[in-house]
Amino acid sequence: MKVETLIIGSGVAAAALAQRLLAKNPNASILMLEAGRKVKMQDAAIWQDYVVSGKLPYTQYYDLPYPDRDQPGENLSAGTTAVPLDGSRALTYGGSTIHWGGWSFRLKPEDFALRTNTGHSLDWPISYADLEPYYSQAEHYIGVSGDSNDPTVPRHCDYPFPAFPYTLEDQPAAEAMAALGMAYSHLPIARHGITDTTSRHAPCQTTGTCKYCPFGARYSANNFLDDMQNWGNFPGLQIRLNSIVQEISMRSRQQAGGVVYLDRETGQQVVVEADRIIVAAGTLESTKLLLRSRSDHWQLGIGNDHDLVGRNIVTHPYFIFSGSAPGNPLKLQPEMNFPTLCSRHFDSPAEQAKGKFILINPPGSPTVNLLSKMQAGVSRLDMDRYVAGPRQIQLHGMVEIFSEPQNRIANIDKLNHLGMQETLVDFGQAAGFDPRMQEIQGHVQRLFEAMGATMNAKPTISWRADHAACTLRMSDDDSEGVTDRHMRVHGVDNLYVCSNATFPSTGAVNPTLTLAALALRLGDHLNHATGQP
Amino acid sequence: MYQTPAKHPLSAELPALDDATYAAMWALFCHIGKYWQNMPDPEPFRSQLYSFMLNRINLRPVYRDYYLFAAATLRGLIEQHGEDGAYAFLFTDTDANKAPPETALAVTRQKVANEFMALQLSLGGFKAFGAINYCGFIGGANIPGQAAPYRTLEADHEG
Repeated sequence: MKVETLIIGSGVAAAALAQRLLAKNPNASILMLEAGRKVKMQDAAIWQDYVVSGKLPYTQYYDLPYPDRDQPGENLSAGTTAVPLDGSRALTYGGSTIHWGGWSFRLKPEDFALRTNTGHSLDWPISYADLEPYYSQAEHYIGVSGDSNDPTVPRHCDYPFPAFPYTLEDQPAAEAMAALGMAYSHLPIARHGITDTTSRHAPCQTTGTCKYCPFGARYSANNFLDDMQNWGNFPGLQIRLNSIVQEISMRSRQQAGGVVYLDRETGQQVVVEADRIIVAAGTLESTKLLLRSRSDHWQLGIGNDHDLVGRNIVTHPYFIFSGSAPGNPLKLQPEMNFPTLCSRHFDSPAEQAKGKFILINPPGSPTVNLLSKMQAGVSRLDMDRYVAGPRQIQLHGMVEIFSEPQNRIANIDKLNHLGMQETLVDFGQAAGFDPRMQEIQGHVQRLFEAMGATMNAKPTISWRADHAACTLRMSDDDSEGVTDRHMRVHGVDNLYVCSNATFPSTGAVNPTLTLAALALRLGDHLNHATGQP
Repeated sequence: MYQTPAKHPLSAELPALDDATYAAMWALFCHIGKYWQNMPDPEPFRSQLYSFMLNRINLRPVYRDYYLFAAATLRGLIEQHGEDGAYAFLFTDTDANKAPPETALAVTRQKVANEFMALQLSLGGFKAFGAINYCGFIGGANIPGQAAPYRTLEADHEG
């Protein structure tokens, strides 16, 4: 089998890239190989199952927890800080967009010059100005609702949909931030709104069940890929599921020739030749594929002559501060399941050297759970007292950390429950992390006091690998980065990586919008390279 | 080739639930609103309850047995406690919430009544507690120039 473009993976990077290539050439020959399977979307029975029991139909495609005394588990955490994989990604058609929250932040201009500004990690080989037009295109592609007048990040084009107004639950945090001079803003979120243009994507109906949207209003790559297949009239587009790519084969040191994949339905190894290959399989799988693609041409794995492939992994520690407030006179309670207020006040040049952070007022704060009370048999009178009574509040956030070469991932010669090679994660938090968190706690403490709340002990911190990145960093210098400014693997003419793995740094914000922008930019680059203006 | 079928293959082979079971489940749903005084008129939601029950059976055929079992259990409870007393007992008995359910009462509470409570709240029962939107409630779109389908900070400040 021979194709022009082979894309490995079917998440947002793959979908956006394919969309851009097919927009220019609807007859383009594109094969997408996805290791996972399909989950039925927008189904009433599955949605109701989620509403009444909290069960989601795709959790079977999560990694298992690490091995423990009483459970075999899978993957291996070898470092001093555990970076859990279970729950961090969905190994299925559509990739992790099937479960993501849709937070669609842009990086800030200073994020692209991290080393220049601070000495940490690496600069991006492109600037914010280079990527800015693609940020706008990405916001339109994934359907972001946001505040076009928000001055936090420069923009030349409005969001496609207006921001969701702040919820009343945001009031205590908003007032506290205003009192302390901390800027806050609308959280840009990938939820389609009302449009006067033809769209197959339904607007968000604020059901608060975003983890399984009954309307497909929250961007999920599998919905978009289904649309492309069903309605796009793209005769050369093929998507094969259950196809686990084993290795990339090289025609020569400079030319990738194709891949070998395992067809899980037949158990057969299948060879595909391709003119160019784009690895868009997420940070972990993209990196592991390059590492295990060893040959006489690349004895340490493709692009790994400088032992950089898999190193420098980062993720965002996600912190949750909890507190107690004496009463809830407004009967604040979760009315949606996504946040509308964030603060990028500390996502600033002044904080960059220490690690920027953002704050989120989560939708579940204050914690009011009507259902649990009813199911416990609590009377109406006591429920009314409960709703208006003392409440638990939270503030969430993420903090930037910097790449360090000893933090790395690799393959383990063992298959996980889905038939894919397991992952070794060797990670240790930096010595400066705990003092940084204490500093952050001081800021949150002031906020809690301004909200009339008492902070409860220390925050919980999750190092889960949701935002894993930086293992195949872009750099113009092949001794510092695995990929170049167009995400092409240094030394190989026709092999690209479209993944968070190519980020030189991740700032303090979710990476998905940036990845979508990079995918669209890569699409333009490839179209240009093949004479498709 | 969906891997998570929305219709279990066994569901197609099952006989339909009888009218008496539907009536018993409807009565249970109505009594949730009566006990918590949070849904004065449940009638508009009758078809949604039936649709919900069919969806549960389609996804997991055992739900047909749960509903039949619950209807029988409720008949016994009503004989024993009277109508209002039976539902109050079902909703408040602490042993009935012990997992896993090992008694007729516990199955009725955990597999049927507790799920109906979740459904009832998401269909509008939550409004009695002060909010105008809720997770699972189809609140509506964010339309420029119109009030948001949830309580907002802006509206509160304006008002």
